[in-house]
Amino acid sequence: MGMMESAIQGLLYAQGSYQGELDPMARMMATIAGKPDRPPIAAQMHDHAMYLAGVPAKKFYYDAPIFFNTMLSVFMYYGMDIAIFFGDVYNFEAEALGAKMIYGEDSMPTIDFTEPLIKEHKDLLKLKTPDFYKDGRMPYELEIMKLNAQMGFGLGIFCAPFSLAVAMRSYPLLIRDMRRDPKFAHELFTFIVDEVLIPFLKVQQKETGAAFAFGADAWAAFPNLTPDMAEEWHLPYAKRLKDAAASFGMFATAAGCMDYCEERLEKFNPAIVRRCFDLFAQVIGMPMAFLGMGRWHDYDLKVVRDWAVEHGGARGTTPIMAGVNARLVHDGPVSKIVEVVKRYMDVLGRDGRLFGFLVNISADTPPEHVHAAIAAFHQYGRYPIAENLDKIKFEMPKFIPYAEFAKMMAGG
Amino acid sequence: MSSTSRVIEQIKQSIVEGDDVAAKAAAEKALAEGLAPVDILNSGIVPGIETTGQLWADGTYFMPDVILSAEAFKAASSVIEPLLKAGDAPKRGKVALGVVAGDMHNLGITIVMTMLRGAGFDVEHMGIDVPVATFIAKAKSGDVDILGMGAYMTTTMLVMKEVIEGLKKEKLRDKVKVMVGGVPLSQEYADEIGADAWGKDALDAVVKAKQVMGVS
Repeated sequence: MGMMESAIQGLLYAQGSYQGELDPMARMMATIAGKPDRPPIAAQMHDHAMYLAGVPAKKFYYDAPIFFNTMLSVFMYYGMDIAIFFGDVYNFEAEALGAKMIYGEDSMPTIDFTEPLIKEHKDLLKLKTPDFYKDGRMPYELEIMKLNAQMGFGLGIFCAPFSLAVAMRSYPLLIRDMRRDPKFAHELFTFIVDEVLIPFLKVQQKETGAAFAFGADAWAAFPNLTPDMAEEWHLPYAKRLKDAAASFGMFATAAGCMDYCEERLEKFNPAIVRRCFDLFAQVIGMPMAFLGMGRWHDYDLKVVRDWAVEHGGARGTTPIMAGVNARLVHDGPVSKIVEVVKRYMDVLGRDGRLFGFLVNISADTPPEHVHAAIAAFHQYGRYPIAENLDKIKFEMPKFIPYAEFAKMMAGG
Repeated sequence: MSSTSRVIEQIKQSIVEGDDVAAKAAAEKALAEGLAPVDILNSGIVPGIETTGQLWADGTYFMPDVILSAEAFKAASSVIEPLLKAGDAPKRGKVALGVVAGDMHNLGITIVMTMLRGAGFDVEHMGIDVPVATFIAKAKSGDVDILGMGAYMTTTMLVMKEVIEGLKKEKLRDKVKVMVGGVPLSQEYADEIGADAWGKDALDAVVKAKQVMGVS
């Protein structure tokens, strides 16, 4: 079935006009409309996929088909719905511009923040728009995008302006620029949007046909960036990028910005959470509660619920991206992971607009923990949600080691 | 307010406000006025970073404020450090900090280093992308009380386990305390790999460093 057909099927399901099984795309559309069969599940998992499949980093982060096929295999192993087959998305543009990188034997390439690309302000003047077909590992990244598109997951990806500014300048120097030399900081952000990201998006559109592109933006999480700073520095360039992309028919937005990530529970601040949600809504152009890297398993979810209801209109709540914390999924135990998912469904999921999201699954996370989180979404997220979820006994699915699964898939 | 008090207050205020240029200038001015380096440290520089820590702990300051304060602390410290005599500054223990092999994220460890120095620890920065063998050699040197490791990627945090296993193999594990920190870590992971302490952030790292050293 084609993507469009699936999307229509999902919308019909939400209206009650279709009663059959939903495929992942249909489930996603039914969730946006507010009446799916269960929440769709997505995950960030590149390091985990590499580690689980035993693929050397020197292949995984350099060979697009190996990367893509490994991700696809692990995606199928876990039975996820929404494919996010991208890896070190914070590196490509900076690397192509000439940033110093460290290519670890066993790890993802990483920018050397001790020697930033822009050490002094005059260094910005030396930078030129990269050749997206040649520079750095851009050919690898473009090939991954093409492979995604061939599988029907055509989506552009880029490093959002604030995170790319950090990648080029380092966080302390960028913050210093923003406070002490705002003129330079504005020049940097303008260069990033006009000379790097817009040309990159045009290439992505040309090569993959992608109509949507999302910008990774973990550096713009709270408390790295405060809401006041986000208003001054993030929103104008997110808008500049979005408007420019719209002019050539592409929807481009930063994702994950203003992700509330306060580590200390005693400092949990509902007012700041609400401002983060408000700002995120302004960036993406619609209200959506994004729970990403923070300790949402420990925070009070009432603030999320209240905000989502206030902004949800006739559909009950806004869409909610319900991220399950990476450290929780890594450390477990299974019972705790299951309880957290159950609480998400109970407090946030009753209006049918919840997406399950396993945030940046760490390399050596036990696969049983990932299976448990997904099974918990399946079992507690069956719509309509049971009034008393305590009456549903969680059943751990039969565990098949990845190696055995991969062998079966290969016909062995 | 006397001139001495004024310049000390300038140092402290510049650090709290995260103004590295002013902090350095004030420290130089204090020296020119004849203040002893140790007094500049104890009356101006350390109280400045302590105030920042407090403002952060109570939710007034956020990460950008702390970063700029840490830069100002470093700027002021760089003026007086070469002039400090042995025994001038209180030392609660010697800490060697490094980011593990394959990892270049130096932001967190820079703040931890600043806060530990502000709390009276003698801190050596071993750098980033530090090989396992270098950590072990540092422990073998006997010149360190706490070995601190930072990792900011889920692949590189696995290197911490290799370091601790290497220390055990070399029969060095009981000669040095091991502290770990970084975004993907947790207390559970620290326990799993056999570290003595996990610092969830820079201030927590100071608390834990004092705990493992048995000092207040």
